[in-house]
Amino acid sequence: MHILLIEDDVNAASYVIKGLKESGFVVDHAQDGEKGMEFAISLKFDVMVIDRMLPKIDGLSLIKEIRNENIDTPILILSALGEVDEKVLGLKAGADDYLAKPFSFSELLARIEVLHRRSNPDIKETILNVGSLSMNLLTRKVHREGIEIELQPREYRLLEFLMRRSNQVVTRTMLLEGVWEYHFDPQTNVIDVHISRLRSKIDKPFDGKEMLFTERGAGYALRSNE
Amino acid sequence: MNNLFRLTSFRLIIIYTLLFTLSIGFVAFYLYWSTSRDFQIKVDDEIIKESIRLDQVYKRYKEIGLIRVIQDLSKTPNPNLYILRDSNNKFIAGNFSDTDSLWNLKRLDNRVVLFSYDKKNNNGEVIRKYFFRGKEFIVRNKYNLIVARDVSYENYLKERFFNTIISTSLLILLLGLLGGYVLSRNFLNRISAINRTSLEIMDGDLSMRLPTFSNNDELNQLSLNLNSMLDRLNKLMKGMKDVSDNIAHDLRTPLNKIRTNLEVTLMSNPDSDSYRETLKEVINDVDGVINTFNSLLAISRVDSGSVSLEKEKINVKNLIEDIVDLWEPLAEERGIILKNECETNIYLNGNKNLLSQAISNLIDNAIKYGSDKNIINVGSSHNKDSVILWVSDRGPGILEKDKEKVLNRFTRLDSSRNTLGTGLGLSLVSSMIKFHKGSIELLDAKPKGLIVKLEIPI
Repeated sequence: MHILLIEDDVNAASYVIKGLKESGFVVDHAQDGEKGMEFAISLKFDVMVIDRMLPKIDGLSLIKEIRNENIDTPILILSALGEVDEKVLGLKAGADDYLAKPFSFSELLARIEVLHRRSNPDIKETILNVGSLSMNLLTRKVHREGIEIELQPREYRLLEFLMRRSNQVVTRTMLLEGVWEYHFDPQTNVIDVHISRLRSKIDKPFDGKEMLFTERGAGYALRSNE
Repeated sequence: MNNLFRLTSFRLIIIYTLLFTLSIGFVAFYLYWSTSRDFQIKVDDEIIKESIRLDQVYKRYKEIGLIRVIQDLSKTPNPNLYILRDSNNKFIAGNFSDTDSLWNLKRLDNRVVLFSYDKKNNNGEVIRKYFFRGKEFIVRNKYNLIVARDVSYENYLKERFFNTIISTSLLILLLGLLGGYVLSRNFLNRISAINRTSLEIMDGDLSMRLPTFSNNDELNQLSLNLNSMLDRLNKLMKGMKDVSDNIAHDLRTPLNKIRTNLEVTLMSNPDSDSYRETLKEVINDVDGVINTFNSLLAISRVDSGSVSLEKEKINVKNLIEDIVDLWEPLAEERGIILKNECETNIYLNGNKNLLSQAISNLIDNAIKYGSDKNIINVGSSHNKDSVILWVSDRGPGILEKDKEKVLNRFTRLDSSRNTLGTGLGLSLVSSMIKFHKGSIELLDAKPKGLIVKLEIPI
């Protein structure tokens, strides 16, 4: 995967680049808005990670320009301004995701992966399949190995979110935002209990053939390789 | 003194006093002038009448007749003074023989003459000064006749009048200036007292207050207003100071822990597993620090209201149901019953994210600090102008004396020192409710426990 990182803080950038390279990505780095624009126009990237406060052209204007050039590469904004209304501004400018500094690297990684996947054209699915697990979006019924699983509405939404991002790490923040639409961190790990409830329904009755994994320090992943 | 002239009030008083004195002076001088002119005209008329009579005498009886008549007139008491002299200034007839005193005779227009006479006692000392006003007639180039009247008393009155005008004007001027000075100095003293205090406050002593006075004039109002502004500033400053002290404490502790942890790991002979373990702990601790920071930022953002947080119409029941739904599994796992007692159809104009977080924090607290077999009630109701939200638990509650304290930033009661948390949860709630112009109340539940009651105007 080819990533463009536009970030003026050389130190911070070097850590991110190191982390991304270790995760198997190819990274190009631009230190200001102008160079970033040059990169964005001349090369094809899978995901762009753009700092909001940049010299020469600021992040939001840069994103608008990139979108004006009909480049629809997924963009993730990094910013020290982390409040909800700031996020909304970023998304309005044309970004696809927004991550407040200081962030955990695993959060960044998870979000980049998800963005990359999402950039593949969305097929209008009616049935989601992950391994032996299937979800019918019309009848709202969930089966594993042909056996129907009864889910509460919230559990259903949680599972849907995970199935749409199968084989990827999904962080707690992403779940809070995506399933509950909350933009704050309840600190106490309420999400863990929701996951373990879901696990007791989709994994436990099937002889411990685990699908819903806890990724230590990062989040959760629903994997198809049983 | 230099300051005085720069003072508007003093300048106004000076101008006013000068104008006042000038107009009084003008009126008085006009009176003086017209009165003395009337008097002169009257004197002159009398003298002219007398001279016409004497002229007729002269025409009929010649010099001898004139002299006779003047000698006769001089013998009887007469308001007029007659002096008839020949061309050598030799006294011929009249009732004023002391012609030597005519040396100071002043001749004005229209033959008017003025002269004075000093009456002396035997020792030659002047005991009284007389003034005369009269007319001089030259008879056939041979005789010089002066008919005059004693105007000493009138002169005396005129002089008194003149002096009175001058002294009164001076007195008015003086009193005006003095009054202006005193008033302005009083004003100036107050201003400079305010200035002095301001300087001291600028030097950093925020406990100083501007002097106030018993009379409730504009200046006093200003002082009072400035003082209450200072009170508020002082409170804010103290709040800021408390916060930064607390930040220092609450961040120093985890930072110190991190530092020691890293140092000790370096000193020992670690394998890669213990490195890994240390790094994990450090990440955990740093996350704690970031959490504290984020909460502080959130509080100050909401408090300052600098950023416009959008408000929308919120269905309170749905809002609470969603939060209860988020917390319910965790509560159940800990054997806590989370009860939702919402009235339906309550709507509120507010910021969804802030309100969700506020109630979420309250539930979090109730779970953290409540007892084991806890029952937490979350509910809402309304009256005609506000929505009431509450979260109650059956834990130990909060002592009356601590209730105000817990709403402050970083307050963690001793009993909770060792549990997890930033100490910012309730103050964040308090800020969020203030943002909605609502109020927060901590009540005792029966038989025990805490009820946090939020009241938000619709």
